[in-house]
Amino acid sequence: MSGAVIAGYARSPFQPAGKGSLARVRPDDLAAQVVRALVERSGIDPDDIEDLFLGCAFPEGEQGLNAARLVGLLAGLPLGVGGATVNRFCGSSMQSVHMAAGAIALGAGDAFICAGVESMSRVPMGGFNPMPNPKLAEDRPGAYMNMGETAENVARQYQITRADQEAFATASQRKAAAARAEGRFAGEIVPIVTKAGTVDQDGCIRPDTSPEGLAGLKPAFDQAGTVTAGTSSPLTDGASAVLVCSDAYAERHGLAVLARIRSVGISGCRPETMGLGPIGASRKALARAGGVEASQIDVVELNEAFASQAIACAKDLGLKDDAINRDGGAIALGHPLGATGARIVGKAAEILHRDGGRYALATQCIGGGQGIATLLERA
Amino acid sequence: MVAPIRRVCVIGAGVMGAGIAAQVANAGVPVLLLDIVPAGAADRNALASAAVARMLKTDPAPFMSPDAAKLVEVGNTEDDLGRAADCDWIVEAVIERLDLKQVLYRRLAELHRPGTAVSSNTSTIPLQSLLGGLPDAFARDFLITHFFNPPRYMRLLEVVPGPTTDPALVERVSSFCDHVLGKSIVRCKDTPGFIANRIGTFWMQRGVNAAMDGGLTVDEADAVMGRPFGIPKTGVFGLLDLVGLDLMPHIDASMKALLSAEDAFVVNHRDNPMLTRMIGEGYTGRKGKGGFYRINRERGKVRESIGLVTGVYEPSVGAKLPEAASKDMRALVASDDKYGRYAWAVMGDVLGYAASLVPAISDDIAGIDAAMRLGFNWKQGPFEILDRLGPAAVAARLATDGKPVPELLRAVGDRSFYRAEGGEVQFFGTDGAYHTLERPEGVLRLDDVKRRSQPLLKNGSAALWDVGDGVACFEIATKMNSFDEGVLKLLDKSVSLVRDGFKAMVLYTDATNFSAGANLGQALFACNIAAWGEVEKSIAAGQRSFKGLKYAPFPVVGAPAGLALGGGCEILLHCDAIQAHAETYTGLVECGVGLLPGWGGCGEMIQRWASAPKMPRGPMPAVAKVFEAVSTAKVSKSAAEARAMRVLREGDGITFNRDRLLFDAKARALSLVDGYAPPPKPEFRLPGAAGRAGMTMAAQGFRAQGLATDHDMVVAGRLATVLSGGDADPVDAVSEDDMLKLERREFLALIKTAPTLERIEHTLTTGKPLRN
Repeated sequence: MSGAVIAGYARSPFQPAGKGSLARVRPDDLAAQVVRALVERSGIDPDDIEDLFLGCAFPEGEQGLNAARLVGLLAGLPLGVGGATVNRFCGSSMQSVHMAAGAIALGAGDAFICAGVESMSRVPMGGFNPMPNPKLAEDRPGAYMNMGETAENVARQYQITRADQEAFATASQRKAAAARAEGRFAGEIVPIVTKAGTVDQDGCIRPDTSPEGLAGLKPAFDQAGTVTAGTSSPLTDGASAVLVCSDAYAERHGLAVLARIRSVGISGCRPETMGLGPIGASRKALARAGGVEASQIDVVELNEAFASQAIACAKDLGLKDDAINRDGGAIALGHPLGATGARIVGKAAEILHRDGGRYALATQCIGGGQGIATLLERA
Repeated sequence: MVAPIRRVCVIGAGVMGAGIAAQVANAGVPVLLLDIVPAGAADRNALASAAVARMLKTDPAPFMSPDAAKLVEVGNTEDDLGRAADCDWIVEAVIERLDLKQVLYRRLAELHRPGTAVSSNTSTIPLQSLLGGLPDAFARDFLITHFFNPPRYMRLLEVVPGPTTDPALVERVSSFCDHVLGKSIVRCKDTPGFIANRIGTFWMQRGVNAAMDGGLTVDEADAVMGRPFGIPKTGVFGLLDLVGLDLMPHIDASMKALLSAEDAFVVNHRDNPMLTRMIGEGYTGRKGKGGFYRINRERGKVRESIGLVTGVYEPSVGAKLPEAASKDMRALVASDDKYGRYAWAVMGDVLGYAASLVPAISDDIAGIDAAMRLGFNWKQGPFEILDRLGPAAVAARLATDGKPVPELLRAVGDRSFYRAEGGEVQFFGTDGAYHTLERPEGVLRLDDVKRRSQPLLKNGSAALWDVGDGVACFEIATKMNSFDEGVLKLLDKSVSLVRDGFKAMVLYTDATNFSAGANLGQALFACNIAAWGEVEKSIAAGQRSFKGLKYAPFPVVGAPAGLALGGGCEILLHCDAIQAHAETYTGLVECGVGLLPGWGGCGEMIQRWASAPKMPRGPMPAVAKVFEAVSTAKVSKSAAEARAMRVLREGDGITFNRDRLLFDAKARALSLVDGYAPPPKPEFRLPGAAGRAGMTMAAQGFRAQGLATDHDMVVAGRLATVLSGGDADPVDAVSEDDMLKLERREFLALIKTAPTLERIEHTLTTGKPLRN
């Protein structure tokens, strides 16, 4: 037991990169608005915050330098609050949750903001200066492999058909559309003020997606492959944040606790099938919680980098279908790399709190061949 | 000084209205595009919005850049007509119905500011009718501005002022259309069809009927009526397919209604049951199921043409004219076969018709020739064709045929309609005297310079001309203006000569295309005999010549129009400034033939991107941009796009009117003379092997998607090697000479490969790229 709890969750709307309504918003401004709202909504005394961890997969340009410190200043946090930018690619902001939980266990602070941001409009995937190590690129091409290719590898290894992927993607879109229609995102979305007006809705969801429509798309990465744009998460702009506190602090200050952090796990895997990362990481987290079984997990937030890898992980771990991504996943909502981890931890906690159950698992794959997992338990 | 037009309103978002609005926006002028509110529409601007959306998908594109589309504001005639009053020019392009136009004019007459120009784009309704019952004050501000479709690409604008139109206002609109929109203005009279359509529709009518009478196939008729006369190869039937067969009955009806019963158009008119049947069955041309030609997909994309007697489609058999007739219109018209008889039957009548219409539709013959050149893309107008055939011979043959010989044709007698006198072009006037063809101020044609003077330097491939005020003009004069040894030699000599006796140099040609690049035929020849030393020498020679231009002690301005590809683009990259025609299609296309830019293009493009504002720092961003454009052989679809590709830099200019390009380029060159210093030599910071690995990976992604071939990967790898500076370390500077060495080395490596040679050979024989 870490003694750490999730005491708040907020995110910006997720908007498609390039053509979405957050494309012209600086990522540091975007993250600052989310952090500010989280602090206000949670009711925490800002002076009690020890540190701000900000996950970002390509911390360059407008999300460069030590973006965490700059976001803290932009958000008007007290000068005494620290700031550390965290990079574990797609696992960056989930890593920030783990760092907070670790620090709490170490007695190194009571309250942490664990945020994440990515403007895929303004900082390209791969960064501005992609300069792979030529020797490694030759010896171990998987280290730099295009993510889409790894999704094809997973589809082949697990024999996941294109139709299966399309059914999964359609379901994700349908769940996200229903969640939006029923107002289930209203509590988490922070309206973002932009020069062109306030943005308060997600922009990636395609409610009218059908398997037939998806079947018409061309493969996006391999002309002989099965992965299309419709079964991949879109390039997205977005920011997210959760408040992680010690249980004692939350109780003392009457904060609304969504869930407690039960255990965590990190696991490396073959870069060529990086999408399988959640399997090893989740197994570690479940074992560390004293051998929790997949059947005991009531809520799962399994990041949908690609339908193929999400299906493979769910199958391999034996996760319950009705537990997975109840409000839709990244294929529908979008995947702003650095922001996704905090979103799915916050979302898992929120659904556990809302729908009931004992355990919730948030897990995701990471480019280069890793997985990261967080097991939550009802508070 | 004419008051500028800062904002334009176009009413009517059909093909013409929307196209005019797009061209105004292309020129950087905000435009309000209005159409009616469709019944029951939720979006009251739906028609105008749909027009803009449609144009963003149309090919060839009405917009020159995505930014241009943003200058079009959409609205509707119910809510927004009041805002038209804030515009400096209102163009009406609504459906060709007098009643609807007049309702609109009456509303405009009430709200428009006196002195604001209102013009109609009508092609068929006389100005006199349009103005019927409207107040005098409105008539003073009213004129016809008749654009041709598509407005971006067709250079002709017929301007028809009314008897009481304010001349200053006509000048204001004309000047805007000329300088800003790039149109060539032909002043017309208020007669049916004005000039181009009056003659053009008669030509089409005669072309169709005479083909049927003479037993020619559609293919034969177009082969006769196209190339030999310097007319686009679509000829008559292909053109009808392009404009739409269904348009013809409307045009025929309105021309018949407006023209006198004695007019040759009316006399020769006859109903065409076949045309009626085709339209009825949906064969309206390219926009429908097909027309006189169609593509039969059931037979596997076979081009077919319709039998003019049988009405049945058969595979299209390209007609082969006798050798002499195919090249010389004089021989064609004289030949006593069905081709010759057809050529005469149509062209004899058309030339006679044109001559009979001066001065009724145009004060002079030059206006008629200009209208046919610019509105129908004829290389020569009717009177220029008459000069080729001999006016006396045509008159005699018309007389023999028992046809009327127009007064003007009699008057010119044994002389010609045009003559060169003291270096000036003169045309034959209705007064029987010759008059000098005046160029508008700001129009400078190299043709005129060449007529008046001797070249400063000249060889079989290029020439250097004195264009006045201390500026010399370097002209390439090879086929497609490709670069060969002669061009480079003369360029070197020109640099020496200009250094000693001139202030500046411009690179320019009157030809349609600035340059299609290096002469691949010569390169292939050298490769076939394995003369690799020669190939390397020619690469080095090009590099030396272009750097000589770049570091010459005088300013050089490149003035491209049309294609500027490969070496044609590289020479522009070595100029101090570029003054480009708006329709400039440029890019480094070498990878398409399995090569890479070898005349300094790689380094110059990196420098352009590296010095562009707002570029992220580090060794990769500029290199990646160049790799993306060059590896895919990207070509700009306009000068605006060339600017986005950084072939044009911040200070480089764009000229919309083709006839003003040389003048503008010369002015730009002169503006650089004071205090001119050649540019400093650049030093590059390049990513080396890491960058090469990154670019190769990106290319592999394209390969996996099926967008790149195996040989594309080889070419991309060599290109990546050059762009990343070979084995450069990012902390070391790479010199321009190092870059040139790399270019030569990698170029040679590629040209020695069989797939590259196959590409070159294929492109030379077919004109198309080979995807091997």
